[in-house]
Amino acid sequence: MARRPRTGGGRAPDVFARGGWVPMREYPDSDEVDFAIVGAGAGGATLACKLAEAGFSVVVLEAGPFWRPLEDFASDEEAQQELYWLEERLTGGLDPIALGGNNSGWGVGGSTVHFSMISLRFRPEWFRARSLLGYGVDWPIGYDELAPYYEEAERALAISGPLRYPWGPPHRRYPYREHEMNAAGLVLARGAERMGVAWSPVPLATVSAPRGKSPPCVYRGFCNFGCSTNAKQSALVVWIPRALRAGAEVRDLAMAGRIELDAAGLASGVHYRRDEEWRFQRARNVVVAGYAIETPRLLLNSACARFPQGLANSSGLVGTHLTTHAGPGVWARFDEEIRWNKGPPNMAVCEHWNYADEGKDFDGGYAFMSQGPLPRAWAQLVATSQNLWGMALREAMLDYNHMSGLVAVAETEPRIQNRVTLAAKRDRHGLPVARVDFAYSDNDRRMQEHARRFMGRMLEAAGGRDLWSSEDTSHILGTCRMGASPDSSVVDADGRSWDVRNLWICDGSLFPTCGGVNPSLTIQALACRIGERIRRLSARGEL
Amino acid sequence: MLAASVLSDSALEHYRGGFENPGMFAPLASAALALAGAARASRRPARPAPALPFGAACAVGAAGLGFHTYNLLRRPGGLSWGNLFYAAPLGAPVALSLAGLLGLAARELGRGAPTLARLPRRRALGLLTAAGLAGTSLEAALLHFRGAFHNPAMWLPVSLPPVAAALLAGAAAHPPEAAPRLTRLARACLNATAWLGVAGVALHARGVARQMGGWRNWSQNVLSGPPLPAPPSFSALALAGGAALELP
Repeated sequence: MARRPRTGGGRAPDVFARGGWVPMREYPDSDEVDFAIVGAGAGGATLACKLAEAGFSVVVLEAGPFWRPLEDFASDEEAQQELYWLEERLTGGLDPIALGGNNSGWGVGGSTVHFSMISLRFRPEWFRARSLLGYGVDWPIGYDELAPYYEEAERALAISGPLRYPWGPPHRRYPYREHEMNAAGLVLARGAERMGVAWSPVPLATVSAPRGKSPPCVYRGFCNFGCSTNAKQSALVVWIPRALRAGAEVRDLAMAGRIELDAAGLASGVHYRRDEEWRFQRARNVVVAGYAIETPRLLLNSACARFPQGLANSSGLVGTHLTTHAGPGVWARFDEEIRWNKGPPNMAVCEHWNYADEGKDFDGGYAFMSQGPLPRAWAQLVATSQNLWGMALREAMLDYNHMSGLVAVAETEPRIQNRVTLAAKRDRHGLPVARVDFAYSDNDRRMQEHARRFMGRMLEAAGGRDLWSSEDTSHILGTCRMGASPDSSVVDADGRSWDVRNLWICDGSLFPTCGGVNPSLTIQALACRIGERIRRLSARGEL
Repeated sequence: MLAASVLSDSALEHYRGGFENPGMFAPLASAALALAGAARASRRPARPAPALPFGAACAVGAAGLGFHTYNLLRRPGGLSWGNLFYAAPLGAPVALSLAGLLGLAARELGRGAPTLARLPRRRALGLLTAAGLAGTSLEAALLHFRGAFHNPAMWLPVSLPPVAAALLAGAAAHPPEAAPRLTRLARACLNATAWLGVAGVALHARGVARQMGGWRNWSQNVLSGPPLPAPPSFSALALAGGAALELP
């Protein structure tokens, strides 16, 4: 079905009402706005809110639609596939990453519309991974600089979390209390207690009590799709309404194709396609927030005479050092009924191997969580991992309510050969599509093997039988890394391009290393920090 | 009134628990018996009320506390905040025992006994209800903390009843003529607490409305939202406290 833009005519969809609208300020293309932001996900939406609230004029260009959760998010796994970025991309390398469902969002709110709401902070040492832990690369900022913004993001998202999180430095209590643990989470808890390692309820971005127009979570279990009740605190329901109230404009179904440079070598605006028509938005600053594939793709697509290798790419690093989180999983059958589809899919976590450095045969770390796949996703995993089909698959599915499992979020090494490049093939807009090459290092493989063994022992300790394992990947990060010098990074600690000083990046592609936890909270904390830095730089006349 | 509150609350919560254990019917039966006993006693104040339903309520409440403690401690995490929030509530069976104790006290008073538990009647009933108010307030504190005090009104039941309980305990320690101002103040606070129980039902009804689907989806939201029968226990204890202050 062809979609039509929903925003425009002075209004944007009201995310809290069926068919509702909220007023929205609009800017003509010819107006030179302070910031044109490409992408309305965890990075773009958060930054749009922060900049609009600081008084800047902001236009957000989002390739996907502006969803209304109450009417668009059906309780139907098949129908909800439309939330993913499913435009054509090429994948390659020894371990090609499956793109789409697990890692790319499409629409206002980006991947936060279908993320599993896990909101964990990075281990402080990871910001100096090379100096303190001896692998990867140091970030240009430390944990202490980011901590206030972690807290800002946690308050904005009203994270429901435990009173005491067993890992990391102490911080202010999560604004909302933890959710009731589901049976799948209790399996992890039981196993962890029998093995003598710590476990914790997962801090989740879905509210455990009413908040504004968000009702508390009803534990329907469709969290890896759009939350039709608005309990999920996605960028769509948290940052976007705030940004609109503060005067930002969001243009949905607006695909950015190229960033234009002026004669002085500064960005002058963005060419984008909306309603079958190419348009040009003038801007004093351009922010790219398209996540780890579309961000380097747009920069590479914007190559010009002055920057023939692509924008912000004098270091040659744009698109390189792609990392993902490896997701080895272990699954077991339990005698008792688990019914793991109840509640948010990941309710209990063990971060033991993110914080323990003794007894590892690998660099880096991993966390793992209890799981709750819905039947279609489970059937797909069983079919592809176990090679079951027909009657055998049907019989395996009969065990659905008795299954439980653990899946890791395992750090991979940033390596230059894992990268995003442009393919010769063009998409429906006439733009070269991205090619994504990826291969695990030996270290990555050792870590996954370690995770599989450890998780298997935990499932057995909890009473699981007939164990088997699977492979997967999730978040993609690190293709436009931030750093301390122009030779070794694409942008500085503020997300500002070393080459084009009014071009910024604000998304997961900034991550020099990917850590062993889900990145959305860190992306939003970084965006809060970048917003604050821009406000200060502007006040000092250094923008 | 307290028995009615316990009856409806335990009916709701144990229904939600699917009556997994046959013992989960016991508090319903016991609270219903206590309710019937109280109704009979109030209809025919001249005849002595039977002690059995109230004694049974005390015993079932005590057993319930044991079961609920076992349920809490056997979960992973043991005595943790998560289990205090979501395992079987420790305060609920205590409320049943309290209803039983109040029934027994009322029975003794009806028979014209000069003392209760070897204490002057005014002091005994005053202390019992003050302890009940403080305990109920503690339970409200735990559950409202679980709700992150998202509405400022959620602070009321954790601030007003403890003050009323302290004043009641203080006033009940003296004969009425010895501390008239304290007694007046305690009575005023107890009245406010009694009304708080009524207002609490309205606020909890609004809480149900704020669940997904609101009152249209009442059959689910009455179970998952804030419990409607809980706030009247404040009214019940405040009225009993007021009655204690009426005693010489």
